[in-house]
This record gives sequence, structure tokens and C-alpha cells, in this order.
Amino acid sequence: MVTPNSNLNSQSVDINRIHDTALVNHFTENIGRRAFLLTPSYPFMFIGEIIDVMEDMVELCVETTHFSQLENRNWFIHIHNIEVFYIETPDGPCIPELRDDL
Amino acid sequence: MIRRFHVVAIPIRIVVNNFGDHNPDGRMYVLKENEEKVKKLVRQNPFTPVELVQPLTIRANEGDVVEILFENQLPFATGMHFQESDYDPRTSDGSNAGFNPSSLAECGETVLYTIHATTEGIHFFTDMGNVSSTEQGSSLQGLFGTLIVERRGSWWTDPVTGGPIESGVFADIHNPFLPSFREYAWFFNDEMEVNDLTGNRPLNPVTNQEAESFHGVNYRFEPLGNRKRLIEEGIVSPELDGEEVHHDSWVFGDPATPILRGYRGDPAVIRLIHGAAKETHVFHYHAHQWLRDPSNERSEVVDAQAISPQSHYDVWPLYGLGSLPGSIGDAIIHCHLYPHFEAGMWGINRIFDTLQDGSQCYPNGIPIAALQPLPDRPCPPKPTPERPGFPNFIPGKVGCKAPRPPLGIVGGREMTELERNAAVPNARPGAVFVDACLGNPVVVEFNVSLIELPIIYNRQGWYDPKGRIYVLDEEIDDVLSGRKEPEPLTLHIPASSCIRMNFTNRLPHILDGDAFQLVTRTYENAFHVHFVKFDILVADGASVGWNYDSSVLPGETIRYEWYADTELKAFFFHDHLFPVSHQQHGVFGTSVIQPRFSRTFDSRTGEEVFHGTQVTVQNPLIPDYRDFSLFIQDFAFLFDKNGCPIQPPPFPGSSEDPGVFAVNYKNEPLQFRLGEDCDPAYSFSSYVSGDPVTPILMAYEGDPIRIRLLQGSHEESHAFNLHGLRWPLERPDNDSILTSQHHIGISESFTLEMEIPRAGDYLYAFEDEEDVWLGTWGLIRAFDEEVPDLIPLTDRPLPPPRTQPLPKVTGKPPKLADPLCSLPPLAPLNAPIRRYSVVAIQTPIVYNKYGDHDPFGIVFALEEDVEDILCGRKNPEPLVLRGNQGDLVEVTLTSMLEFEKFPFQDGIHPYPPVKEQAFYPPSLRISLHPNLLDYDVRTSSGNTVGFNPDQTVGPGERITYRWYVFSNVGTCAMWDVADLRNHRSFGAFGAFIAEPRFTSNYLDPHTLQPIRTGTSAVIEHPLFGRFREFVLVMHDGVRLEDKNGHVIIDPLAGVIPQADLDDEVDTYDFGSRGFNYRSERLINRYREHPVLADLFSSKVFGDPATPVFEAYPGEPVFIRLTIPSERRRAHTFHLHGHNWKFDPRDVDSRIVSYVGHMVAGDAQDLPLIGGAGGTFNFPGDYLYRSGNIRWDIEQGMWGIFRVHPCIQPHLPRLEDS
Repeated sequence: MVTPNSNLNSQSVDINRIHDTALVNHFTENIGRRAFLLTPSYPFMFIGEIIDVMEDMVELCVETTHFSQLENRNWFIHIHNIEVFYIETPDGPCIPELRDDL
Repeated sequence: MIRRFHVVAIPIRIVVNNFGDHNPDGRMYVLKENEEKVKKLVRQNPFTPVELVQPLTIRANEGDVVEILFENQLPFATGMHFQESDYDPRTSDGSNAGFNPSSLAECGETVLYTIHATTEGIHFFTDMGNVSSTEQGSSLQGLFGTLIVERRGSWWTDPVTGGPIESGVFADIHNPFLPSFREYAWFFNDEMEVNDLTGNRPLNPVTNQEAESFHGVNYRFEPLGNRKRLIEEGIVSPELDGEEVHHDSWVFGDPATPILRGYRGDPAVIRLIHGAAKETHVFHYHAHQWLRDPSNERSEVVDAQAISPQSHYDVWPLYGLGSLPGSIGDAIIHCHLYPHFEAGMWGINRIFDTLQDGSQCYPNGIPIAALQPLPDRPCPPKPTPERPGFPNFIPGKVGCKAPRPPLGIVGGREMTELERNAAVPNARPGAVFVDACLGNPVVVEFNVSLIELPIIYNRQGWYDPKGRIYVLDEEIDDVLSGRKEPEPLTLHIPASSCIRMNFTNRLPHILDGDAFQLVTRTYENAFHVHFVKFDILVADGASVGWNYDSSVLPGETIRYEWYADTELKAFFFHDHLFPVSHQQHGVFGTSVIQPRFSRTFDSRTGEEVFHGTQVTVQNPLIPDYRDFSLFIQDFAFLFDKNGCPIQPPPFPGSSEDPGVFAVNYKNEPLQFRLGEDCDPAYSFSSYVSGDPVTPILMAYEGDPIRIRLLQGSHEESHAFNLHGLRWPLERPDNDSILTSQHHIGISESFTLEMEIPRAGDYLYAFEDEEDVWLGTWGLIRAFDEEVPDLIPLTDRPLPPPRTQPLPKVTGKPPKLADPLCSLPPLAPLNAPIRRYSVVAIQTPIVYNKYGDHDPFGIVFALEEDVEDILCGRKNPEPLVLRGNQGDLVEVTLTSMLEFEKFPFQDGIHPYPPVKEQAFYPPSLRISLHPNLLDYDVRTSSGNTVGFNPDQTVGPGERITYRWYVFSNVGTCAMWDVADLRNHRSFGAFGAFIAEPRFTSNYLDPHTLQPIRTGTSAVIEHPLFGRFREFVLVMHDGVRLEDKNGHVIIDPLAGVIPQADLDDEVDTYDFGSRGFNYRSERLINRYREHPVLADLFSSKVFGDPATPVFEAYPGEPVFIRLTIPSERRRAHTFHLHGHNWKFDPRDVDSRIVSYVGHMVAGDAQDLPLIGGAGGTFNFPGDYLYRSGNIRWDIEQGMWGIFRVHPCIQPHLPRLEDS
């Protein structure tokens, strides 16, 4: 027997799936562009080029994070862990250039 | 699990160092199985420290029941009172309080305590049978210890043998699921009796006067005086001065104070406890940082932490021993208050890099005790002749001062072979034995010198002829020539930078003598830093243990390297070689580690800069902000314009509270700001006396700001208050409570982040009476229109062009404010309005039934209560107003003050005293200032400040303040700011309680009828139900008279059995104290019935005059605690048998049973965990009290929280209708 709660659950799973799929598609469509991501876990902030999307993991060539020792390498970031993002497109504002030596 | 201990309280001779200094009348707790052994060892070693003589430290696990069979061998009744634990107060409180049966043991008797170890952490215990603050007392003489509650399933071993232990301050703790760690119990205690080898009080070898009192750790102290005497006698290098080698093991060998040993990277905790009795210390641990609230990952990171008597913290150094870079060597741990540091309150954390199996020796031939590696960590390598490990690769010479580090000093030496073997491959100046910067980050480099020059502190010409400050090399000429005003050096550095500092010592060899100090040869100095990462051995800017001496001689330059791994607060820097001698002359500064990618600009010119106490910060990712650095300083040795010393000590070199106070090398004493009308109400007004010379922090309306709050020198607590603004207490934590006040001690650093909602002048003040009197205040000035000297923030709308001229000094009081012309910044148009009509009146206040009273009380009262108070039907209590979140509160204030009713109409207020007494007549104007609430600072702050309109009222005048309760911030302190000298300590204060939104009723606890005010209330909420609310207003500095009309000169008048006439009382210790205009001074009880153990007993004396708050077991209870008034002495608050969250809004926050270092303006909310009766809802009488044995408890700072076991006719239950 299907209860109202389980109905709700199945509905929410579907919505989540749509949401995740849309995110995956969006990142996939923007492979090769620069992205700015915020995550709730260390090191919190990433800026770099989207290299690839594998299932629901984004591969980012990270040029800037919170911590310089973790830069200039590829990071695999789970899409669920991305709280905020912005992908630079030709018709949008640029992600600021962040330089330690300015 | 039940753990059983048999604890004995014994009299014991405590030898406190290797010089034979000792306390012949010590008292301590010891396990029964060690009693005979320790007594025998002490008999055999009358002048040598005995290791077993240490504060008793026992352990249990979370969830254990601990049964203590307590046996008393002291000649008076004693007990063991446990903090943080749960217990039945009728059997296990370790006191004789209220109507509880006594749980003290008489001499020769035993008592059994049952303690529930519910929460992990420190469960400090002490005696409540004898709270005398004299040497006849118990705590003062060492009777304290701790139960440490470990995580469930833990066990502990001896760090030397690896075998099991029953007690001891050092242990290795293990758990099947968690990493093993080193545990070190560290007990500060002060004021303990100490005699020297001859049985006399120790003398200071320089002044030949009695030395500073005992300030030690774990019953040990290592004062400079003793070591200096060895220099003077020629036993060690006679060419030394003393202070520079105070901590140098090469010269003197290791100290008697604790050495906390571990291996590089070991996880560790210092269980930091203030055992007794008086001072608030600042615990500082070199090269390590920790979370202020260790259970909250979003807590502030600190490396210096103030701690007041009977309070405690867990210090878990981040990254383990050696911090992030894995440094090795000796990291000194000390009280940062310099007179205490000099007196011997320090020890060492020794971090080894090679295995210590007991076969090695220190360079002086003393064997190194074995140290078991932690079982779950890699075993350190064994020492070899080529790689002997710390400290045996350092080319020092025993009996001489430590060698200078290799590579660091310009023109200095290279490495020896052993040093090269120990060094990292890329060894470089300032980073030889670890790579402090973890690779190759961006480097910023500074050239800084320490110079001497006269500094003028105010317009009256107060000056320090021997100011000593850090300056950038490129600015030396400008500063010396007067083109640039001296200010504490403040550098701004982006996070993730490698900082290279080239530091040059340009001081003269000699710090000349004067009324304050004797001539001192401060021939070498350094640049010691906090917070950043570095190689402890070569870049500490200090000379500690077996480390190098990383300082330089005059004319020399040394290179340090530090790493700012992340955004930090302002990090403090100062000299560590002669700080006792000269830091109070200005030898301090800060570097602010700004968010990465930030750029800093001069706020006036817009020019890009990297230093300055006021800058504007731009960042591409986060909003721009103004950055202000404020340094409070005490012990400032100033002279007036005629060359006379201001507040010199009794003799040069004395540390008896010499000098005055300042902010950023400036002060603005109130005595000079009376104006033509001689009315203190306008002391802060720029219309009357112009702007102060102290910093005015400039911003535009709406700007985000960050205040870097630091204390540069030298010994005392200060109470920073900011009127009209508020900030999160734990800045990284979005759940943090808000505050408008902060206690600060030397070397602490806090970042206060907020926005300025509206234009106006905001008063900041270190607002205890004496500080503010001597000029430690200034302004934050926010403009609503463009001004030429302030660049706008780039990411905010440009300020509109100026249409109104800037205000000017008129010499006349400003016009009255019109608060009803505007709304508070956050208030919506349709906020419900709650109105109060308040009158300031003068009335006698009776403080207790023994006739102690204040005949000149000044109180705020609701208009409807004034008649009852004035005709004596009602003994006043501090005014408590309440409002709900969302309320717009309109408070109409009227003054009924009469000049004839002031005690000191000649304008000289002699008692309680302040430094620099001067004419300052009582004002008939009065005001009401609340902290934390939202209001327009130009109309409703209750201060007449800067160029704001007048917000005080004189006789016959009325003002209606508008305060918006923007959030349920809980307790807000209220006080008068019109005359901080003549009003506040007489009672001109109260509290505002911001209740949750939709609170439906504030009820009388006895009738359950609605009330308008009252310190005890039942708060009714449609969702939360009812809870009891008890408002405790702690206050001090009260001038009381006894029943015969004689002034009571507290604290000494209240000392039991009687004060020692030699007791040193600082100005800010004077005055009586209590809660809610009541004081149950124990001396009154003692005179009636001279039995120490009975002094808290209601069976003998009836209930105290202080509030007896009542509840039934399990009822929800909020204690609203505040201290609006007024002295600088910090107090601890402790409630027996109950706990609450350190941050009540944060579920992750640690659990505590005390509030530490309370000073003026503090406001706290204490929701009791488990409600009345604690976790187990035990009925009984619970003491609430100060934790300061000297001098609060005797002086009446205590009361009772009564949890009734059965229904009382006078007290309805919360569920009753």
C-alpha cells in the first residue's frame, strides 16, 4: 500500500534527481569555462577551469582556493557539496582576478 | 562504572622552587595511598620541591559515578566542592550552604561524596569550608585540585613509565576509538604564602623591598629575583642583566615550574585551571593556537586567553605539539601579565624530535627522564652522535646565555655540523629547523626597528620621556622629527603570505631610571610574535629553555620568518627580552592578517599602504571594510608638563600598580573636560571640549568595520564597551551570541566585526570607572555626507555631497536630543510600542540586615514605584525592564536628583578612590544607556558624546528614548553615562531583558500576576510555556556605611578573621560589592558566630540579604547575569550544581558552570541545563557566588538558589494557573 508520506518521498526523490541532473548538465555544458564554487567544507572556495564532469563529480583545474598550497592541481568536487557557484560566460561578468602579489 | 577515591586534606610544607622558597602552611588534597609517602618525602626534603606535592588531579570517564571518601586532617572543617559535576547538594556539595545539611568534614572526620561525571572535561574542586582570603584560608594556601573526565572508554598511563596511574598532573590518555594524547593539568594560583630559605618573606634583589607575591603554576614558581641573584653573586655569567635570561636554561638549568614534555606532532591538551585566589591572568602558549571553545569548530582561534579565579579551559593546541610546521624546542607558557611573569608564573612545553628512553642528558648533565611515545604515533628516531636531537645539537655553553641562532643575524654565523644535520634542507635565516612556510608562498618583507623617543599623550602635556616604539625603517626620520605622530605599529598582510622581518635594535643600551623605574640595561631585544607559524628555536624572538636566544644587540639586525597560513586576527608583537622593563613604554604593535587577496589603503588619502591603525581594506570577493586597531595600555609611566611623575609607585621598580592608562599612546582624562559649566554630563561632548586626542575611527554610514582590539601593556583587566553597536562574540560562528562589551587582558586580540547602521558619534570606552576617568575612550564617527578626509568604500554607494557644514566646537552644551523624531535603524514602521516611565531618584539603600547601607543611593525606578521607595515601604532593587523581540520600547526618563543629596559636594570623590583624584562635581543630569539594543545613537544611546545632541536630563526635564528589540538578545546592561564618577557606583544601573518574540506575559513568581519590573519573574510564552527568570546584577565599587554611619573600607574591612595591614589594595579593589543592591558580607556573620564552616548556613543565620531565588526541581530557569558597574577587578561567577552552554545559542558550545572575568558592561544568559536542580533535578540549596576568594566571597558576593523538594504555599508551580 502506498502511504501519502511515501508518495511525498518518491516525489521528492524525483525532484532531487531532476535538480541533480540539471546541475550535472549545466556543468557539462560549461566544460572549458572558469567557475567559482563555494563549499561548506574545507577549503571552502575554488576558482578554476571545469575540466570534466564524471557522473556527479566535477573535475576542476583549481587556480585559486583559500589555501595556496592546495592550488594548481585538479580537484574532484561532488556536486552535492557545491552550495554556491558561478560559471563565467562571455556575456556575464568576469570572475575577479585574484593575485597574491598585488 | 563507579570509581572510588579516598582523598585526604592535609597540611603540608610546599617548597615552590629549587631556591628553597616555601610555604610552611600549605594545604593540599592527596590520595590516601600517597599520604604517608608525601609527608615523609617532605620531611626529608625541607628545602627541595617534592614532585608529589602538586594539586591533586584524578580522572574518570564520562558517565562514571565517582565516590570520594573525603578525610579532613586540617584544623578546620573542609570539603570538596566540584564544579561542572552533577550531585545531590544535600550530601555532596562540599559546603554548608543554606538549609542543606553540612557536607563538610570536621577535623579528623570523613564524608562520602557521590559525584556524577556527566560531561567530559575539567571538574575543578575546591574547599568551601574556609573561604578566608588570608593565609589562614584554604584555597589561598593550595587546597584545590581537579577531577578530569575523559571520553567514555578511556584509560590513562604514566608518560614516563607507561604504567597505570591513579593521580597526577601529567598523563597519557588512550581510547580505543580516538587518538592517544598527552594531558597536562596546569593550575595557576596566586597570593599563596611564601617564605625564603631563611623563613622571611622573599626580597627583590634589585629594589631590596619585599618581592612580588606568589604567582605560580602547580605550586611552583620561578621568579626572576632568585635567578638574578645568581648573576649578582657571580655564580653564572656576571655580565648579564637578568630579565633577558630569566627563562634561559643554558644559564640556570631548567625551572622548577612544570615542563610539559612531548614529541613533535603529539596531540595534547592543557587542562588550564585557575585554582585561586585573586588575579585574572592571561595564559599564553608560544607558537601554538587553539579554539576558545574547543567543542565548537567555528569558535575563535586564540593563543592567549584570560582566566579568572576558579574558572578553567581546555587548551587543545591545533596541529598538536609544534603546531603546523612541526617545530621542536622549548615553547614557553606563561601568564602574560608582566609582573606575574616576572614573579615566576611560567613553565615550558618541551617538544623533542628524538626518542627519550632515559639514557640521554641535557647539556648540563641532568638526565632526561624517559618519555613513552604515544602508542598510535610513529616512534621518534633514536638519538645518534650525529643527530642527537633537541637540545643537544645546539652549540651552547652551560652557565652562559644561550647562543644566537645560525643564519639569522646579519653578518652572523653559519651552522655547525650538528646544526646542519638537524636543519631542513632549505635552511634560511629565521627558518632553520623547520620549513615554517610549507613550501614557497608569496613573500612580504618588512624592515622594522625599535627606537626610543619622547611621546606626548594628551593636550595637557602628559608625556613619556622614554617612549619606545616599533617603527618601519623608512619612517624613522619622520617619526623622530615629529612629522609623523607615533602610533603602535600596525602592519597589514594578506593571508597565505610568508613574512620576512628584518628587525634592527636601535635602542640605547640603558633604560634610564626615574620615579617609576631603576636604571636597567636593556641591551638586547627582539620581535616576538603571536599566532603565525614559525621555527620556535630560532624565530621566537625570545630566549627560552634550551632554545637559541633569538634577540639582537644594539645596531644589529636579525631576520625572522613567519607564515600566516590563513586569515587571522591581529597578531600581537612585542619584545620578549626586557618586556617587564619597557613594554609599558610602548613596545608593542600588531600585524593584521587580512583575507587573502586584500589590498589596504590609507582611509584619508586613498594611497595604497601596508601599515596604519586606520585603513580601508578592499577585497575582490568580500565587501570592503574599515579596519581599526585599538590598543589599551596600562602602567603608562607618564610625567606632566612640569616634569612631575603621574602616579608613581611607592618606590622605583615597584610593581604596585604604577602609572596611568592610554589608548594608542594617547589619553583624554575626564578631569580636563568639565567645560565652563563644570558639568560632568558633557565630558564626552565635542561641542564643549572638542574631539578627544584618542583615536577617532572614521567611516560612512553603512560601512562594514572591523575593530582589532588589543592590549599592549601591562598587568590589568579592561572592559571594552562600544555604545550603540554590537558584534558576534565568536566571529566565525553564525550562531554566535552578540555582544557590545569585551573583557581584555594583555596580549589578547579580538576582531569585532559589524556595520555602522547610521551616522553619528559612537562612544567606545574601556569603561570601568578608573580607566575612563583617566582617558581611555574615543569615538567612532560615521558620516552621512561626504567629507574630504575619508575615501568611500568602492562597493558601496557614494556618500551624498555635503549639504550641512560639519559641527564645530562651541564650548556650550549641545541642544537636547529629540528621540521621537526618528526610529532606530532596524525598527519597522509598525513595531508594537512598549512604554516605561523611569525616574532617577536618590534614596538610601539597605544592603543587609546588619545595617550596612548606602545613604546616598541613586536608583532608577518606575514612576509608579517611586513613592513606595522614597517613603521606605520598598527597599529598592536594580531596575529591570523587559521587552519582546520586535518591540519598540519607549523609555521616558526623568531626573529628580538634588545636589544636597550627594555625598561629595565639593567635587572631590575620595572613596572608593581612583588615580589622579581631581575636582569633578556631581552632575544633576542623568541618562540611561542600554547595551546591545538597537537605537539611533544620536538620540537614544543615553550619552552626550562627540557631536551628538544631549541625551541626558536635568531636574524637571524628560527625555523619551526609543530602543528597538531587534532580537531576543537576552540580558542587556543599563547604566548612567552622564556622570560615571558620581552616579554609577551609587546604584545608577539596571538591566533590560530582551525576551523572545510573542512572549505573552511577565509574571510575578509568587502571584502569577503580570508585572512591569522585578528581578524575579515567570516568563510566559505561547510556544515555550513558562520559565523562571532570575536577574542578577553583580556590582562592586560601592560606598557602604555600617549601622553606626562609619564608612566601610572594603575589601579589607570584610576580611576574615582580619586583614593583614600589609595587604596591598589597588585602587580598583576598593569598595563593597554584592548582587542587586544587597551584600551578605561574611564578616557580619562571623562577628555574630565565629565559625568559618557555618558562614553560608541559613540554619544559623537565616537566609542572606542577597536574592534567594526559588524554583521546583526540573523547572526551566534562565539566569540573566550582568555587571554594569564598575571597577576594573574581574570577577568569576559560579553557580553550584548547575551547568549551561558557554554560548547559549550554540548547541556545539562547551558546557560550563561559571562565567569568567566579568567586568563592566558584561551581560550573560545562562539557561540551566536540566532546569532547576541540574541534570538530575536534585532539590536543595545551591550557592551562586563569585569565584574570587580574594576579595569577593567574604565581601558578600554570594546568594542562594533554592530548589524546593515539595510545594510551597508562597510559590506557585510553573504549571499552575
